[in-house]
Amino acid sequence: MDRRSFLTHVAASGAVIATPRLVRAASDSRVTGAPTVVLIHLFGGNDGLNTVIPYQDPQYRRLRPTIAVPDNQIRKVHGELGFHPSLAGFQSLWERERLAVVNGVGYPQPSYSHFRSTEIWHSGLPDGLPKSGWLGRVIDANPKQRPIRAIALARERPLALQSSRPGVVTLTSFEQFRIPAELEAAAKLYEKQNGAKGALGQVARAGAGALKAAKKIAALKTHRGPPYGALGNRLRQVLALLKADVDLEAIQLGYGGFDTHANQAGSHANLLAQVGSSLSTYQRVLDDLGIADRVLTIVFSEFGRRPGENRSGGTDHGSAGPMFVVGKRVRPGMHGAQPSLDDLDRGNLKYTTDFRAVYGAVAGNFMKVDPKSVSGGIKPLELIG
Amino acid sequence: MQAPVGHLLRRAGFGPRPDDLDAFAGLTWKAAVDRVLAELDATAPEDPKDFDAYEPGAIQDQWLNRMISGEGRLAERLAFFWHGHFATSNRKVQDPALMWSQYRLFRSKGGGTFTELVGGVCKDVAMIRWLDGNANRKGVANENYARELQELFTLGIGNYTEQDVREAARAFTGWASRHHKFVFKERFHDHGDKTFHGHTGDLDGDDVAKVLCELPACHTFIATKLLRFFTHPEPVAAEVREVADVLAKTGSIRDAMRTIFMAPGFVAKERRRALVKSPVEFAVGVLRLVGAKTAPIWVHGALERMGQILFRPPSVKGWTSGAGWLGSAAVVERLRLANKGASLAPEEHADAIIRCALDDELTPELATASAAATGKDKIALALGSPEFQLA
Repeated sequence: MDRRSFLTHVAASGAVIATPRLVRAASDSRVTGAPTVVLIHLFGGNDGLNTVIPYQDPQYRRLRPTIAVPDNQIRKVHGELGFHPSLAGFQSLWERERLAVVNGVGYPQPSYSHFRSTEIWHSGLPDGLPKSGWLGRVIDANPKQRPIRAIALARERPLALQSSRPGVVTLTSFEQFRIPAELEAAAKLYEKQNGAKGALGQVARAGAGALKAAKKIAALKTHRGPPYGALGNRLRQVLALLKADVDLEAIQLGYGGFDTHANQAGSHANLLAQVGSSLSTYQRVLDDLGIADRVLTIVFSEFGRRPGENRSGGTDHGSAGPMFVVGKRVRPGMHGAQPSLDDLDRGNLKYTTDFRAVYGAVAGNFMKVDPKSVSGGIKPLELIG
Repeated sequence: MQAPVGHLLRRAGFGPRPDDLDAFAGLTWKAAVDRVLAELDATAPEDPKDFDAYEPGAIQDQWLNRMISGEGRLAERLAFFWHGHFATSNRKVQDPALMWSQYRLFRSKGGGTFTELVGGVCKDVAMIRWLDGNANRKGVANENYARELQELFTLGIGNYTEQDVREAARAFTGWASRHHKFVFKERFHDHGDKTFHGHTGDLDGDDVAKVLCELPACHTFIATKLLRFFTHPEPVAAEVREVADVLAKTGSIRDAMRTIFMAPGFVAKERRRALVKSPVEFAVGVLRLVGAKTAPIWVHGALERMGQILFRPPSVKGWTSGAGWLGSAAVVERLRLANKGASLAPEEHADAIIRCALDDELTPELATASAAATGKDKIALALGSPEFQLA
């Protein structure tokens, strides 16, 4: 592994950082509530090379004769790397000093399977059995007991939030959580059977926890106004949860469609436009509400895609890719080295930054817990100001 | 002793109706299992004359109606299992007629040999669209299907190499679709030698499927998945071996099902009510019990909120299981569905419905609550209870 820090990368490449301050002054605004991590999984494997584009590298165009983004359309926010033209939102976040881009993020011996690689990213354990989630362990490290600790905006609980404690719940709409009065008697049965053995106890405990959380959330109202769209709608729910001060440690959501094996140009551009614009608006709302200090939003995908395009106008499963960390507390700019396109591993990028360097930074510097359960002994990146 | 009919019918079908208990009364366990297996022989029903797969919700509605009717119960249940196993979503396929024809494959071949089923899946047009078969051409292989075929459909992770993925992808080059039909596009097929799980030659898709279905890892993988679905979330090694041996010997899914149902462990007390019902299993179970003949319109929205829309599994990995079905919103929705279902029930049958729903074995907590309720509320309480969420 040849992980290099942000500063060595800048020194080695001579790259010019177009905007942000290298070191942010310590934030002077008061942190009002407990910190919350919002984790966004771009499902399917986002094509990192067409998201953060190494536009100075002639190999980029050689490897991608049909799907390379034309040079004059790239948003060149940095001396070597630029954003896809659809990412006006990322450019805005960049200029507002709310965006940290971590390049070349991956892990040893990459899996090209969506499921295995998702397990690895969610669990944070490239070698071990995926029994808990990395955010689940961050939650476990906080001794404070809460009725609801984390919410997944999903129908099923993602592995990333798998914790050894109760209080991790799933949500698709607030209204779904309302329990009509005539169903109270049935709802009570779950509480009463809490101690039952075997599957019945498992169902009763899961059900009782689910119903308890339901009552609290049923009272919330979705944030009004933008961002709109499929991802924007989810982010408005996130905003409602954050505003309501439900005191969550983590919120997880996903956004799908990134498995672009064929004819990817149009669909990938649309996906990126949604991601960029909705995150930009969402962050602005957090800033306006005065709660931006206690929210950190992390965007990742289970892998990047292969540098060489396939003959279907798409790309196959790859390895390393960029991560995006959005928020007021980030040290904005580029972090981690962009992997070389001249030195591929059987056609795939060699990662430069282990994702555990990001997880460790989030746990230690943002959530303020011991990062050792997620950092895997790897030195955390200096991501948080 | 009378066979625990309710248990068999929850596993081999979508749960019992009061009249099923009468029909199976007095049968020995073997006779009851024989009867369920014999139902596999009936030919699959024809689509109704006015059936139009393109009508929104039609394919979901039609399949739910078949599950509710209880005709061909094990055949429908196996089709449901294979739908989750070879999980294909209309989100990408974007053609309900193709999804329906994939269902018909599962419905007609789901109890036959695994080799024949996999062969059918390899040429299934919905699957070809789902995993990019049309993009897989000589010299520019698309590995999507070749990988999932081994990882999720036949062997499981760790039982194949990256080379096996690449070589299988080459073997499937040119296996494509035109309109609604499978076509072999000779000019896109790679006729070069491939080496796949120790076999070398000018292999094609049929060869790959055949090689996979003969590997011991495949028998173990399929046996484990069947047992997790039909018996217990954590089958023991000896059970897996017994079913895997049957698959190795005859390759017949029907034979595997007989072994699963006849195993002494299948009826053991701790194996009953050991599986969390998926939303479809729960909803169909409720509708059967309350005497519905077809799926009411509201059930589609309820299924979505509980997290299971037929023909739209969340990913190629299939549905979740166990407590994964019991998110907050889903549990609230289950209580609501129990209530709506109970409102359809003829009140005079309340006692029979509750007995059938719970095998006449109410836990003290439920018995107390039930004694305090009356009429349809009493039915709703039984259907919404933690006990009824288990098969």
